[in-house]
Amino acid sequence: MGLQRSARASLWLLAFPLVTLVVMLVAIAVGSVNIPLAGTVDVLWNALTRQPQPDPMAASIIVTTRLPRVLCAALVGAALSIGGASMQGLLKNPLADGTTLGVSSGASLGAVIALAFGVTIPGLPYSGVVVLSILFACLSLLVILTLAYRLDSSLSTNTIILLGVIFSMFASAVVSLLVTFAGEQIRSITFWMMGSMASASFPNAGLLAVATLVGGLVLYGCARELNAFAVGEDNARHIGVDVRRVRFTVLIASAVLIGVCVSMSGTIGFVGLVTPHMMRMVVGPNHRVLLPATVFGGATFLMLADLVSRTIFSPRELPIGVVTSFIGAIFFLGLFYYSRKRG
Amino acid sequence: MKRHLAFITAAVLALTTLGGLTGCTSNSPAPAPSGTTTTATPDATPTTVSVVDPTGRTVTLDGPARAIVGLTASDIEIIYALGAGAAVVGRGEYCDYPAEVASVPVVQSGSETNIEQIIALKPDIVFMNTMAQSQEQMDKLAQAGIAVFVSNASTIAETYDVITLMGDLLGAGAQAKAASIVATMTATFTELQADATAKIAGGATPPSIYFEVSPLQYGLWAAGKNTFMDEVATMLQLKNTFADVDGWAAVSEEQVLQRQPDVILTVTMYFGDGPTPVEEIAQRPGWAAVPAVANGKILNLTNNELSRPGPRLTDGAKALYDFVYGA
Amino acid sequence: MSEVMLGLDGVSVRYGSHVVVDDASFELTSGDWLMVVGPNGAGKSTLINAITGAARYDGVIRCLGHDVRTYSPARLARIVGVLAQNHSVGYAFTVGEVVNMGRYAHTRSMFSDRTNADEQAIKRAITLTGLEPLLDQSVLTLSGGELQRTFLAQLFAQDPQILLLDEPTNHLDLVYQEQVFDLIREWLKTPGRAVLSVVHDLSLAKSYGSRAVLMKAGRIVADGTVLQALSEANLAEVYGMDVFAWMRKMLQQWEAT
Repeated sequence: MGLQRSARASLWLLAFPLVTLVVMLVAIAVGSVNIPLAGTVDVLWNALTRQPQPDPMAASIIVTTRLPRVLCAALVGAALSIGGASMQGLLKNPLADGTTLGVSSGASLGAVIALAFGVTIPGLPYSGVVVLSILFACLSLLVILTLAYRLDSSLSTNTIILLGVIFSMFASAVVSLLVTFAGEQIRSITFWMMGSMASASFPNAGLLAVATLVGGLVLYGCARELNAFAVGEDNARHIGVDVRRVRFTVLIASAVLIGVCVSMSGTIGFVGLVTPHMMRMVVGPNHRVLLPATVFGGATFLMLADLVSRTIFSPRELPIGVVTSFIGAIFFLGLFYYSRKRG
Repeated sequence: MKRHLAFITAAVLALTTLGGLTGCTSNSPAPAPSGTTTTATPDATPTTVSVVDPTGRTVTLDGPARAIVGLTASDIEIIYALGAGAAVVGRGEYCDYPAEVASVPVVQSGSETNIEQIIALKPDIVFMNTMAQSQEQMDKLAQAGIAVFVSNASTIAETYDVITLMGDLLGAGAQAKAASIVATMTATFTELQADATAKIAGGATPPSIYFEVSPLQYGLWAAGKNTFMDEVATMLQLKNTFADVDGWAAVSEEQVLQRQPDVILTVTMYFGDGPTPVEEIAQRPGWAAVPAVANGKILNLTNNELSRPGPRLTDGAKALYDFVYGA
Repeated sequence: MSEVMLGLDGVSVRYGSHVVVDDASFELTSGDWLMVVGPNGAGKSTLINAITGAARYDGVIRCLGHDVRTYSPARLARIVGVLAQNHSVGYAFTVGEVVNMGRYAHTRSMFSDRTNADEQAIKRAITLTGLEPLLDQSVLTLSGGELQRTFLAQLFAQDPQILLLDEPTNHLDLVYQEQVFDLIREWLKTPGRAVLSVVHDLSLAKSYGSRAVLMKAGRIVADGTVLQALSEANLAEVYGMDVFAWMRKMLQQWEAT
């Protein structure tokens, strides 16, 4: 009966961390420079046990280059996906996500403003970018949803997505304006639009881990409420959910997660949109299972996408956004085609 | 229908995301044969000058140009080097050398080139290049009765050609200057090459070099083959570590670490905030084992000496020679 | 016995300058099934939105003696439950999952397991609505009637003392209409419960209601027993036509055959 599905879901939740761990090891072991698996394990073991590294080149490639990058990819994937899944549940809208709602564009606008005007917080390099990204992510969400509620209180898919697209275009226009006057810093700004994991480092991974953990726990704490919202906001109110408080909490938590991700790696499209869909197909829509599943699914997805971007045209590197958009677009086309065909 | 619309908007988003990623291609098409025909001796009476530019276009002027617009930074550098700077009435927004161009009115260039803006300056001739300008833009200017010279140099030899052709267009004084510039450049390069060869002689392994065009923070880009940097490296007996990629390309950090360059040349600008580009490279985690970092062999050239096909290529080459082999 | 469960005192709802509910006052006592009747745009559904806090209002609404504004959403949900007109569920939740959500207001922490009371309430709700065979089915595949029964089961699992029904059978065929109303009549037999429902169908109001409130353009025109409130004269005034004559004519069409 009802147990069948939850038992199956629990099995999946045991399997997901294993899959994620395996993919993580593969992503660390494989790169454009070929280091044998045994060598990779040796390097990791020596690093863990603080023993001297016999091969300093392999050690620096694996420990200081690949490891933080794989960690950052995993964390960005997890954060974007849990943010996307929460917004899709909250708004009962399967197309909601940082990119479709214009939150990512807003966050990159914040990042670009921080770069163009040299906004910094003394003692903390690059913190201006992080803070302004988060601030603008929240502001954009506020603007879009206020407008959406005014136009159409049922918050239908079309209203939100169209407003999101309009807002994204507006934010991009402001970014272009800033780029026009930014002169020589132009190169650093285009990076925010393309998305890249190249600037990954252990401090970045640390900040991402804290944000993902805190944001993820806040969102997971709202799992039951998200289930109610996913059935319908009115239904949520009727069964006793504090609709206003939950909406505010979920939106702020997701916006902060997206803001942190954008400030670290630019706009990486489709991750937050596609992962929740894939996971919902596997574990169902119950957020108590879906949210943890998207954390692992998103981490796995982005680690694999980054692996492809690092290796497919080695020694060249592809922007990771190209890979995720490619996979995402094909996945959505397939999903759309089959859902239409089934009628 | 509603679902339709939603999916269409999603698709539009996907396309715009992807669209932002194109538009960053590098090199130019193969050069066409070029040459000069001067119908009269460049004496007192102004006469028609006609040259064939590197793309095979015939450019004709009724005498030395009196009003010039240059859209490409390297063209402007050459014009000033040829002594014709006084005739420049407009410049592209990225033209920043020599310093006196700052007082010349700026016109938009690249994809935003504004034909009306250029026509309003009433130039006799516009200098541009195919990498930055489209065929359509050139045609429109030509239709407006303005001569268009397209400089397309992707090697040092082609740069000499462009300098010579531009000298032909800009009058007798310029013609003479062009000849002397090309001669000086040729002599300098020959000397540098000879000196470098001497340094390497005796079986020493040639040092390897990594040209960093974009820093780690924004994703590493390296200069590969078919770039001025690669050509200069070859001349200076240096081994370009990314000679296996074509043009400028995004590369993996781990590839740089594996290729162990002896010298790093970075062209990152410094804005006076945080570590300098050289310090930043030296501080990168995991890079300490790279010979260039271990031996402090990191050079920062910030004035585009080695990326613009102009007279300053020798400055860049000299700076690099001095840095690698000692003055 | 006739304890006041819900009391509205001078309640008005405005959307901008438009007055949707104008100075409405009435009481719902234990054992009552109050039918709110009136033409489209009379403000009937807005009344329900005011009670659940979905619409801003002036005036006072008291629930079990206290201003509803002092209740937390969960506490209010333990007393007042709502069955809406129609539902569109976005995701493939199972019937069982949707029914379980009815216990939200009773089990506050997501980490504490469901209590015996929870299990029993859910089981009772499922049995009452006959949903056992559908428990693992996705709500996206249900018919309109099955979906409405699912939400009715959720409401029974929520176990409130007051039911607010917003035209709950509007889109259902006759068999389901009767099923839903019979289930609610059964539910109402337990003391300390009351029902307020917005209905369009005057015959349903007559056969199930114990009292009625007749509304027109946001104002309460009549309040009393069903027969008093929905008198021929009152209905004629509110609907601007002889409603009784029309209903008779409709029936005669069938008798003639």
